Amino acid sequence: MASKYAGLFVLFQLLALSVVSQISAFPTPTAASTDDKPVYNRQLTEERPVQEQIAEADSVKAAVQSAESRRPSSTKDSESQQDLDDLTVLKSLADEQKSKESTEVPIKKDMQYVPDESDSTKSRRLAEDYDSTKNGMDYGKYQDDPESFRQVDGTPLTAEDIVQKIANKIYEEDDRGVFDRIVSKLLKLGLITDSQAETLEYQVAEALQDLITKNAKNNEIEDIESNDQETRGEQDDKGSDTNLDTWEPPRRRYNDEEEEEENDDVVEDEVDRDAEEEEGDTGDNTWDKDTEEGNEVRPEDGLQDLQYFPNFYRLLRSLDSEQDTQERETLITIMKTLIDFVKMMVKYGTITPEEGVSYLENLDAMIAMQTKNKLGKSLGPPDVPGPNGKILDEDDNTKAEAAKMQKEYENLKDSTKEEQPSTETNQPGKSETYLEAIRKNIEWLKKHDKEEGKDDYDLSKLKDFMDQQVDSYIEKGIIAKDEGDTIKRIYSSL
Amino acid sequence: MKPFFAVVLLGAAAVALVSSAGTEGEISFEYHRYEELRKALVSVWLQCPTITRIYTIGESFEGRELLVLEMSDNPGTHEPGEPEFKYIANMHGNEAVGRELLIYLAQYLCNQYQQGNETIIDLVHNTRIHLMPSMNPDGFEKAASQPGEIKDWFVGRSNAQGVDLNRNFPDLDRIIYINEREGGANNHLLQNMKKAVDENTKLAPETKAVIHWIMDIPFVLSANLHGGDVVANYPYDETRTGSTHEYSASPDDVMFKSLAKAYSIYNPVMSDQQRKPCRKNDDDSSFKDGITNGGAWYSVPGGMQDFNYLSSNCFEITLELSCDKFPNEDTLKSYWEQNRNSLVSYIEQVHRGVKGFVRDLQGNPISNASISVEGIDHDITTAKDGDYWRLLAPGNYKVAATAPGYLTVIKKVAVPFTPATRVDFELESLMERKEEEREELMDWWKMMSETLNF
Repeated sequence: MASKYAGLFVLFQLLALSVVSQISAFPTPTAASTDDKPVYNRQLTEERPVQEQIAEADSVKAAVQSAESRRPSSTKDSESQQDLDDLTVLKSLADEQKSKESTEVPIKKDMQYVPDESDSTKSRRLAEDYDSTKNGMDYGKYQDDPESFRQVDGTPLTAEDIVQKIANKIYEEDDRGVFDRIVSKLLKLGLITDSQAETLEYQVAEALQDLITKNAKNNEIEDIESNDQETRGEQDDKGSDTNLDTWEPPRRRYNDEEEEEENDDVVEDEVDRDAEEEEGDTGDNTWDKDTEEGNEVRPEDGLQDLQYFPNFYRLLRSLDSEQDTQERETLITIMKTLIDFVKMMVKYGTITPEEGVSYLENLDAMIAMQTKNKLGKSLGPPDVPGPNGKILDEDDNTKAEAAKMQKEYENLKDSTKEEQPSTETNQPGKSETYLEAIRKNIEWLKKHDKEEGKDDYDLSKLKDFMDQQVDSYIEKGIIAKDEGDTIKRIYSSL
Repeated sequence: MKPFFAVVLLGAAAVALVSSAGTEGEISFEYHRYEELRKALVSVWLQCPTITRIYTIGESFEGRELLVLEMSDNPGTHEPGEPEFKYIANMHGNEAVGRELLIYLAQYLCNQYQQGNETIIDLVHNTRIHLMPSMNPDGFEKAASQPGEIKDWFVGRSNAQGVDLNRNFPDLDRIIYINEREGGANNHLLQNMKKAVDENTKLAPETKAVIHWIMDIPFVLSANLHGGDVVANYPYDETRTGSTHEYSASPDDVMFKSLAKAYSIYNPVMSDQQRKPCRKNDDDSSFKDGITNGGAWYSVPGGMQDFNYLSSNCFEITLELSCDKFPNEDTLKSYWEQNRNSLVSYIEQVHRGVKGFVRDLQGNPISNASISVEGIDHDITTAKDGDYWRLLAPGNYKVAATAPGYLTVIKKVAVPFTPATRVDFELESLMERKEEEREELMDWWKMMSETLNF
């Protein structure tokens, strides 16, 4: 699956190229694309008329919808058929079929999802949305998602057809996993190479973006429930301009979003960002837990999580008026996509946590700079003590602990949160003992509650109780004031 | 989460630093000065906040808190029917082993509880355990401040005023001996308790605090940790005739022997019959199976042990745990290992004999009712919820519950070794009985008049 992420890199890198020039670990897009097969390049370089693309997309969609009725067998059947289909795909890929206008590209009868775009995706509840960490890696979920690579009349699809088909599938199902599965199969069978897979990704991304844009025109707001980096990456790199075929540097992107009426209303109702994670604590399985918590908390627009990007935050704030709502939404979505993406990359070891952290830091700085340049205004007082102070702390902590984080990947089952010890400077020995003791208590509580079948223990109640006890102990002279403060601080950081 | 793991690493580093003193898993064996003692107790509380509570019963002469760590499933509350237990150590400031053992015990009980040790869990759920590692923190500081390894036999023994706390308690032994001869109460001998204590200028603040503590909480069983020898000592400490050595049995001599043995058998040093005396010329002739009667060993007037038994319901024994009063720090681990099982086993002894509630016919609790056992000249009383715990060795007994204004009820009980046998009493008040009799009389009169037609 590294290739997939390599592909993501491709997408992302183009977007972020100017921002992260110092991060050399990121692969460069040019290297990847030049190795690709001519067919894809050709498609790339050819400027196909917009109408054509739209028509193609439409027809594909129509085919998909018509294919719906002929549904459903079991997962097993669909999978075996997919294998067959895959072979066909291979053939078609290997033949380097020309691009041509595709005709009907029906999805096979055993497709199960309803591509009705006016439906569930929009009414999807917040809690189900956008959780890259939860769903992104779960391939088993998609087994009942058949793709076929045959046209109705049995002729093999062109490469272009395939790309379109995949893009449609992804769009309708709001599920990037479609692509993942197909590609992984192909790779497994050795039928495509990694670089081909990358290119394929890129192609699919483009096609998908086209789809999105087109549909966005028709509907005011669409929720794309892609829990998946690539889709977001795709959206990101396309920005708002539907006709962009080339990568744009991020400042242009932001520029576009700021200045143009955003019609690419991809509102990701992303909920689950844990603030602390912004510092690059990305190698952590506790995301799941965090994301769940985040779901419950659901701040207004999820802005809380973004507070560690003060410039971005201010930018959002400056877009507070009514007509800017869409832009705001999009900005938030994009930002969250970026963050998520970086986290994923760190999690899968593609970049080191330090790189992820520095990337995100640079991103924010870049936002500030570009905003100033483009909008001709600054985002507000350059030094807001709160967020900045926090960021600094987290900077230090993340840098110090980024290395440690990597060692801890295996131990990520434990989602206990603790205040970072580096912030407690005055009584290291004592506070560590207290920290140890509190940690043991939290661990025991979690285990105990699990055994008894209760839900997660009520942390806030415990915190209140402890605060109360600490106060009473201070009063009675059992603990010193500073110790009490330490303990309260530890609990409040949980 | 990232920070957590950083903490773990740092925590591990801290533990590594500290472990020069030797560790048993999670306990680090070293001496704790006052601040360290306080922090150690706070750490236990932080680790087990749902089953522990720290409180203070007062201040020492120099203002140090007399800290107690309580362990129970519902800390801070007396649950009706749940017996109260205490350990007090270091009343002689230079007798340091007991102090440390209680700190280790607190950590041990918390760790074991969380690790699912069923014995400990049951114990904590069914008992209210109070641990006071130091009754004389001032004395300890003095003793611990001595330079060098060898500590003086006396420095730090008494409190900051120079008072030997184990001779400072009101001497109730004298009173009981008089009552034995001339008749009188056989329990709760401290009359006008509060007044006597508060106005007594001879009592050290530490002594006062402990007396109030004993009055406030209905302790059932207790032990008092000392050093300088190795034996489990039981009442009475003061000899009846005033001689220096004389076996002075209490009414509960049988039970006390059983209690003392319950401690000593798990301590391999204490129960070792072949053990040489601590010092060459020591007279340990009274020691048998690691236990001794106080008076038989040597007479101690004004001690805390007898005060407990004679002023309250609490049975207390005195545990001497080390030949050396203030031994080297690196011996602490072995003292813990010698005493750990004994310490736990002794707490379990609180669940013996008979226990229950005394209520009136309406179900209301009767507090301060007397529970007397035929053949044992020592009564105990019920606590505020009408609950009582009467420690008894296995056997058949007749147990009576008496309260002023109520009719006494006597019940026969067969008592096993453990657990405690539940015996409840419903007492009929005298008024009720009179009422009953009156009604019976009326009924009879009615019947008679109907029959005889008048």
